Amino acid sequence: MSGGVATVPRSGSEPAKSWRTNRKLDQWIAFWSVPFFFNLFGLVFVPLSWMMPPRSPSSPTPRIVDFMHSHNLLIACVILTLAYGLAPVSNACYLMQVKRMSVSPAFRYSMMVGAMTGAIVGMLFPMFCFGLGAFRPGYSTAVLTMLYDFGYLAFIGSLGCFCVMWMAFGLAIILDENNILPKWLGYYTIWQYVTELMAAPVWIVKSGPFAWNGLMTFWFAMILYVSWQFIVYFCIFKAIKNQPESEFA
Amino acid sequence: MTDVAEGSAAGVDESVVDARGHVPGESSMWFFVIGDLLIFAVYFVGYMYFRSQHQDLFLQSQARLNVDIGAVNTVMLLTSSLFVASGTAAARAGNSANALRAWAIAFAFGAAFPLLKLFEWIPEISAGLTPGKNLFFMYYFVMTGMHLCHVALGLVIMCFVIRNLKTSAQPKISLVETGATYWHMVDVLWLVLFALLYLMR
Repeated sequence: MSGGVATVPRSGSEPAKSWRTNRKLDQWIAFWSVPFFFNLFGLVFVPLSWMMPPRSPSSPTPRIVDFMHSHNLLIACVILTLAYGLAPVSNACYLMQVKRMSVSPAFRYSMMVGAMTGAIVGMLFPMFCFGLGAFRPGYSTAVLTMLYDFGYLAFIGSLGCFCVMWMAFGLAIILDENNILPKWLGYYTIWQYVTELMAAPVWIVKSGPFAWNGLMTFWFAMILYVSWQFIVYFCIFKAIKNQPESEFA
Repeated sequence: MTDVAEGSAAGVDESVVDARGHVPGESSMWFFVIGDLLIFAVYFVGYMYFRSQHQDLFLQSQARLNVDIGAVNTVMLLTSSLFVASGTAAARAGNSANALRAWAIAFAFGAAFPLLKLFEWIPEISAGLTPGKNLFFMYYFVMTGMHLCHVALGLVIMCFVIRNLKTSAQPKISLVETGATYWHMVDVLWLVLFALLYLMR
């Protein structure tokens, strides 16, 4: 995470150029926690536990029980328990740039609260559900099926919390007069949060394009989300880089 | 993509505009419009695929929709767009009073759309035709619901345009054009939705 920062040679004679006195150091740490966090997430969710792409909501009970009791799911839950604390750090890099915008602080506070509630429902709830299945083998199949439903619905169907967070982010970009982030990124963010709202039907149906592993609710939203995440990350990088030193005086 | 959007954004205020012709409104809005049309196009392709898989179900369900309100709503949006176009032309010509009147009428027609939608949806939902009924009704409510969100945003943008025309002595033409661009997109999307969901046999 901080490997890139730590390799910068220290020069005692010129303290002004030392990495420790870099006024953007806090922002860069928050920034580089994002790829670390997402790579870890990708590894845990896809090749380790195969929690993603989502398993079918109408899987037969024996398959659900096998999944909930699998060792890989247990290891995944251990890593997630330890790593979830990185979410606040990685969200800090967005908030510090939003703070520079000309818009009302209400946008920043909405983002903060949206990120918090989103993390509780979308990250902690699933972790508890899958963790209970993995760490407590005594539960009956009916309870395990419920935990499986609960975990996936919290993970995929809870996006309303993140929706408000990114709505505040998108609107802040569009209304900002300091041009901290490009205006088109604000519009891109609108598509991103609208497609998150599209996940609402996962509560209603268990198969087809609107189930939690469906074409409309998962795959289209995922394509938009992943490309958006890369682009927003690139734009934040440019924004931190272009931030004038005079702002820190 | 990023470079293209930035390049054109920088070019709009420069002399490039005269050489290549005028880009109405802000270029970031065109980025939004084109992207939004692409996203809806992907949804439409998905709809057509699942429709071909369950043709009978879709045809039977489609017959239970209220085509009359759908048609009236189409007329509402088209009329609204007509007034938006004439209002924009008036604003360009410097006639703020006419522009304001045309935009206010356009807003009234646009605001009728969600009201009529309520009269369409409430009887359907109380008759048991909810998104959980079958795949067709899921598509119907999700796609018209997404479109309704666009209409709501469009009405908010129209309020900003009307305020701009009403309060400032020199109205910002780029804002008027941006609002008009967005509203025409809402109109185009509805035309495709109406054809796909209500009319196609």
